[in-house]
Amino acid sequence: MRPENYQLVALPNSDEYELFIGPNHPGIEGNYAFKLKLDGDRVISGKADAGYLHRGFEKLMEGRLWIQNLAIVPRICVPDPVPMEVVYSLTVEDIEKMEVPLRGQWIRVMQLELSRIASHLFTFGGHAATTGMYTPSYWGVADRDLALDLFEELTGGRVYHIYNIPGGVRRDIPNGFLDRLSDYLDYLETRQNDYDNLLFTNQVFVKRARNVGVINQEQALEWGVTGPNLRATGLAFDVRRDDPYLIYNELDFEIPTQTAGDCLARILVRRDELFQSVRILRQIIKHLPSVKGPVRAPIPNPLAWNVSMGESYCRVESSKGELAYYTVSDGGPKPYRVHVRGASSMHAVQVLENMAVGQRIEDIAQIMFSLDACPPEVDR
Amino acid sequence: MNCEEINLWLDTLLAEIEEIEVTRKSERRVRVDVPASSLPALLELLKGKASYVHLSAISCVDWPDDEEFELVYHCWSYEAKSLLSAHTRIPRNSAQEFAHYVSVYDIYKPAAFFERDIYEMYGIYFESSPYMEKFILTEWNGPPPMRKDFDAEQYVNDTFNWADYHPQWLQELEEDGGGIAVRPEDIRL
Repeated sequence: MRPENYQLVALPNSDEYELFIGPNHPGIEGNYAFKLKLDGDRVISGKADAGYLHRGFEKLMEGRLWIQNLAIVPRICVPDPVPMEVVYSLTVEDIEKMEVPLRGQWIRVMQLELSRIASHLFTFGGHAATTGMYTPSYWGVADRDLALDLFEELTGGRVYHIYNIPGGVRRDIPNGFLDRLSDYLDYLETRQNDYDNLLFTNQVFVKRARNVGVINQEQALEWGVTGPNLRATGLAFDVRRDDPYLIYNELDFEIPTQTAGDCLARILVRRDELFQSVRILRQIIKHLPSVKGPVRAPIPNPLAWNVSMGESYCRVESSKGELAYYTVSDGGPKPYRVHVRGASSMHAVQVLENMAVGQRIEDIAQIMFSLDACPPEVDR
Repeated sequence: MNCEEINLWLDTLLAEIEEIEVTRKSERRVRVDVPASSLPALLELLKGKASYVHLSAISCVDWPDDEEFELVYHCWSYEAKSLLSAHTRIPRNSAQEFAHYVSVYDIYKPAAFFERDIYEMYGIYFESSPYMEKFILTEWNGPPPMRKDFDAEQYVNDTFNWADYHPQWLQELEEDGGGIAVRPEDIRL
């Protein structure tokens, strides 16, 4: 809502007061407002207010060709754009009953995991910054930038890659790319100790994050929590393992869990997940050279492509949680309907509103960031 | 029960219920077509008896030619490792302002977000859903924009005058003999 349209609310005489956080504030990765009702520094209730990043993507996608929409989908989540491209392509392939060549699938998984690393590094920094520690945010962004360099080399784009298309990926990996990826993973592993000392085992941070924003497993299931936030409550569920897509069932990785369900548990799950992604990428570096063949299935002229009639619901595990697209085709050159189920659409609205009650005002930003919500996934 | 037993049990159960049509699309994907009146009962059964505890999403599709909205409830079972999509159709009620349907919030809490979204974008009012106020389109008073009969391009052309857009930098360019390659009236979204 624009500031000039805010209306003063006459409240009865009490100690309660209202506080608007946002739409620009450090608690979240985009423009998003959170209206709090407070008594002293305790939160009585919270109300999420979205819409600052609404660009009508779902409507726009109905007016563009199947292939043109690839330029739109990564913009739905800036820190983690690859799963958006992949899941959109997966729905189109599912409708068309198209098989992606094996090499294309391996390259997709490579990007997905690299994107997960980049996204988690961003989250560590942001989460630490909400507690007043700014060093991890500089480190996180700097280390993430090296992943973006790799993306730039691979796809030509640092943030929006538009590299996955229905049928596979646009082109094969450049010469020597796997060596540079391997160097980056080596570097990340050397940083593990530094990150642990600075953040994950640092008592200044640990004491600040423990027992804050607690959600138990029962509540998490009831409120539709997914992804790392669900795993932080002790349920080892991961779409990659339990509803596998691409070649994830050929990879060996663990699903890290924590049981506390608080801010600390959530960031620790992400930390372990980052190093599981490193493990997956190592396997890919080892296997990819032996996977020969094309990277993309032949597709019709993309500018005159009438995708056959049908509907498909596909989902992937993004760094934020379960990400799904529901795509309907009426046999025309444009999608009839694309529905984006953003991973954050639960976390940023209902879960946050419930979790905020009873918390102290200084913990709100931390709770918001620990849920790792991405506002454009809510607004679309 | 393990995955296969749950799936077998569910398939047998669903086959016995009349009016609904079950298609198993793949190992972990089931499509169920159900009349609007029996959908809440089906979801209750799925959640209570068949471990479909996670409502992944509610999607809405507008079919103006059939005068219907299609609502799709995607439910996931952590135990059976299966995703069930329940499709139902409700009348579009173009004469009235809103189409109506019942909320499934008392079965699945995440429904609140999706129902609010669908109400805003398609104008389907969900009775007994807890939050039906505006959320994303706070300052929008027009028709529900995701409906097929709302033409966004037409709306933009009617509402905004492209010819009015003539800023200083463009005037300077035009004085130097340059300008926008595509005339504003030719720009299509």
